[in-house]
Amino acid sequence: MIKNNYKKIMQKAWNIIIGVFKAKSSEYIEVELRELENVFALVILGSFIGLPSPPTVISLKLLPHIAKELLTMSRISERLDDMLGEMAGIFEIT
Amino acid sequence: MSNEFKVYFFIGKGGVGKTTCAAAYSLILARQGLKTLIVSLDPAHNLGDVFGLELSEKPKEILDNLYGIEVDFNKMVQEHLKDLTDRIKDIYKYLKVLNLDKYIDVLRHSPGIEEYATLEKISEIIEFNFKERRYDTIIFDTPPTGLTIRIMALPSISLIWIRKLMELRMAILDRRRFLEEIYGEKLKAKIGNKELVMASTIEEDPVYKELRNLYKRVKFVNEIFTNPKITTTVMVVNPELLPVLEARRAYDFLKKIDIHVKAIIINKVLELEVIPKELNVKFAEQTKAIQLINNEFRDIRILKVPILPEEPTGINNLLKITKYLSQLIMED
Repeated sequence: MIKNNYKKIMQKAWNIIIGVFKAKSSEYIEVELRELENVFALVILGSFIGLPSPPTVISLKLLPHIAKELLTMSRISERLDDMLGEMAGIFEIT
Repeated sequence: MSNEFKVYFFIGKGGVGKTTCAAAYSLILARQGLKTLIVSLDPAHNLGDVFGLELSEKPKEILDNLYGIEVDFNKMVQEHLKDLTDRIKDIYKYLKVLNLDKYIDVLRHSPGIEEYATLEKISEIIEFNFKERRYDTIIFDTPPTGLTIRIMALPSISLIWIRKLMELRMAILDRRRFLEEIYGEKLKAKIGNKELVMASTIEEDPVYKELRNLYKRVKFVNEIFTNPKITTTVMVVNPELLPVLEARRAYDFLKKIDIHVKAIIINKVLELEVIPKELNVKFAEQTKAIQLINNEFRDIRILKVPILPEEPTGINNLLKITKYLSQLIMED
């Protein structure tokens, strides 16, 4: 009984440690993914903000599939005035 | 790639006689026993007028071995956009991030749509013939130079964009896969009230699939355009300074994108035994323009078609022009 409890506690502790490492290692990739998705959406709809964009039909053909990327772009654009703060958060500069 | 059938593009400034030359040339080919399709891509259609009959979207028999089409531009653009806009509206009705509804309704007027729709039509006709082998020759009578060179450049420009977008997409999919390995499950995103599972491989990603399809299609058209064994581009000019200068610029531009013009037709050349003094200046200008053509287009075949007493409409009058264009076929 005690042995079982001990095993469960050890397992939980292990999961927490693994979880912390996973979160740490995934954080940068998540940021990178978010930025890439943002760039992808920006390139596709570049003409809205004066960027050179691919021929209209290429954009149109991709538009039905890039809802997620557009959402990312929209969220990032809301935070654009505090990019420095965000970068500081990522790199743990306090 | 099969080179069993040939494709001709007649290009030139508006009003120089592209349609007349293309129609006369189609008669030569048809009379030689080659099953020929002539397609008018010019929004200001007059192919039907030149043959003296009414043409439509469906191939109509003009003579033995000769069929004609006049592409309906409005219908073409609408068809091209309909499926696309329906899909976009269906997906984005949940998404209020952008005011897309208004954007979609004006898509028809956005720059490049007409060019792309024309290119789609060209590739649809060529692809169909590639599979079915219905015609030996397809002749395209094109819109004026400005629009035509934009259409012909579109495949090579699109290929650059598609390649870059595919690279970017691969980078996104790579990151998604890394994260999946860390989390041990597929990534999910909530769009409106729908939960979407994020694709992480090129096989399951609809964006990558769409890009790959586009790439294949555009590459096919580009290969047709740039293959001199299949495609022959013929320029039509009048013996006047401005059309010649414009033709030279178009010639250089097309060369840059690997489309080689094979011949130039000088249409409506004034040929008189005795020149009335009122036409002296006109005649001198014509001589100058022809000299300029001879200098500027040394590497390609130059053909002259004189201005005829009667307007070249109707098959009988067109046949009078064919003898001046017969050298074009000997070139093949």
